[in-house]
Amino acid sequence: MGNDRYNAVVVGAGPAGATAALLMARNNLSVALLERGKYPGCKNMTGGAIASMPFQQILPEYWNLEDIPLERRVVSDELWLLNNDSAVRMGFTGKTFGKIPYNKHTILRHRFDNWYARQAVKAGAKLFNNCLAVDLVYHKTGLLSKKVDGVMLEGGDVIHADVVILAEGAQGSLTQKAGLRKRLKPNEMTLYVKEVLELPAGKIEDRFNLERGEGASIGMIGYPTSPAIGKGGIWTNKESLSIIVGGYLNQISGKGLNPLQLLERYKRHPLVKRLIEGARPAKYLGHIIPKGGFNKIPTLVDDGLIVAGDAAEMISGRRGMDLAMMTGKFAAEAAAQACALDRYSRDILASYEGRVKSSFFYQNMKSHKDAEAYFNKYQDSDFLIAKAVNDLAYKFFEQNLESDKNNIVKMAEELIDMQPLGKSAKDILFGLQNWGVL
Amino acid sequence: MSSFNKAQRDPLDLVTIIPDEKPHIFIKDDKICITQCENKPCTYYCPSRVYYWEDDSIKVLYKRCIECGACPYGCPYDNIAWQFPGGGYGVVY
Repeated sequence: MGNDRYNAVVVGAGPAGATAALLMARNNLSVALLERGKYPGCKNMTGGAIASMPFQQILPEYWNLEDIPLERRVVSDELWLLNNDSAVRMGFTGKTFGKIPYNKHTILRHRFDNWYARQAVKAGAKLFNNCLAVDLVYHKTGLLSKKVDGVMLEGGDVIHADVVILAEGAQGSLTQKAGLRKRLKPNEMTLYVKEVLELPAGKIEDRFNLERGEGASIGMIGYPTSPAIGKGGIWTNKESLSIIVGGYLNQISGKGLNPLQLLERYKRHPLVKRLIEGARPAKYLGHIIPKGGFNKIPTLVDDGLIVAGDAAEMISGRRGMDLAMMTGKFAAEAAAQACALDRYSRDILASYEGRVKSSFFYQNMKSHKDAEAYFNKYQDSDFLIAKAVNDLAYKFFEQNLESDKNNIVKMAEELIDMQPLGKSAKDILFGLQNWGVL
Repeated sequence: MSSFNKAQRDPLDLVTIIPDEKPHIFIKDDKICITQCENKPCTYYCPSRVYYWEDDSIKVLYKRCIECGACPYGCPYDNIAWQFPGGGYGVVY
């Protein structure tokens, strides 16, 4: 492997890296795809589900492909505002989402990423597992200028390449080393833990009101991470449930919360307990998500270098994997263009930046750019809203001895007692954006 | 919330880890943990309990690490040096 030369080397074989490698290989570029784990996906975590429409931009009708490890097609999406023993539920079930071309598929990353990287290999990319890149290698292009010309592996071997694509994931250590990304602050990331709980398919379908092969996802706010801003969630896989909980790292750390304890407490909630009853814990995972948002997006290209996926902090609301794929695609297109011109400078690779900046997700990130600041200023907003709507719902549904008019007056008084109405409205609006509802 | 108790079930029973022979986590300056850090948040925000406090110093069980990536950022004194374990080592989900 040492001192080989490729058109492109891709650091990281997750959704961004595998996409870039797949599409470049299809374009007849020579590609080395580096994975630090034993196999792609073995260190990765999602809630979660992959969105069909972006994925189809890369592999049309992917659901027909051989051995693709999709779990369930999601037909039902719910958001629960959870309080101690109650929940206000919003949701939508659409059977059309269970039919081609689908909307989302639940996946498990250790299977999915492994399969996806194999598609890149089939297209001609060379995959190196157990392969940790520790540094970038530069090549002088002038008196004062240089370009990235490959990566150095632990042990000192070098893989040379005309273009390096950093798809190294959330930590983004090489991206930081290259000076493109600032070190994240603990208020600019969330920390999530997850368990995979095994449960027979029939039970899953009964409990979540699904037909065979259909899936559901439930996001929950309030109780799961109170008193911090965060989320709990449950996704249905073929024969298991994924249950996650987590929130902003500075709040977890600052309020003395332990993620595993949050998960245990969440699993004991009376409305959650019933959904997971009898399920056997099979896996435990944890990971950070970069949440600096629009204001913290790194510099995306340099001479000979492109940054994609989580390394580029491409996270918008609940979406990350599909944005990783989209940026992987853009990176492959820019790299192919650069190779055709045999020019790899920043201004040529800037076509990548252009594609990212005109994307739908860049627009979304831009319009949600104040979320992080808001949620760290008002760290109890999720919890307060969840509590308020549950208190109101109890009043609303209670069969009491008051007139309807008196009940409404009382409910309004209670709401205003909690906090000014304007603040509540703002909490709800920011909340809806953050949960990916708006 | 129930108290943090080492006797509670160990989540690592559900995790496969192939530990590297060399540690990949270091405390930069032990003195900071003793003299400046009051709450030792690493002992609770770490999801796999890599860190614990014993005999006036932070102990680092790097073989328990699931590589979530949080610890260097969560430390209020930027006192944790964390890097990836060697290729092929570490957590295998």
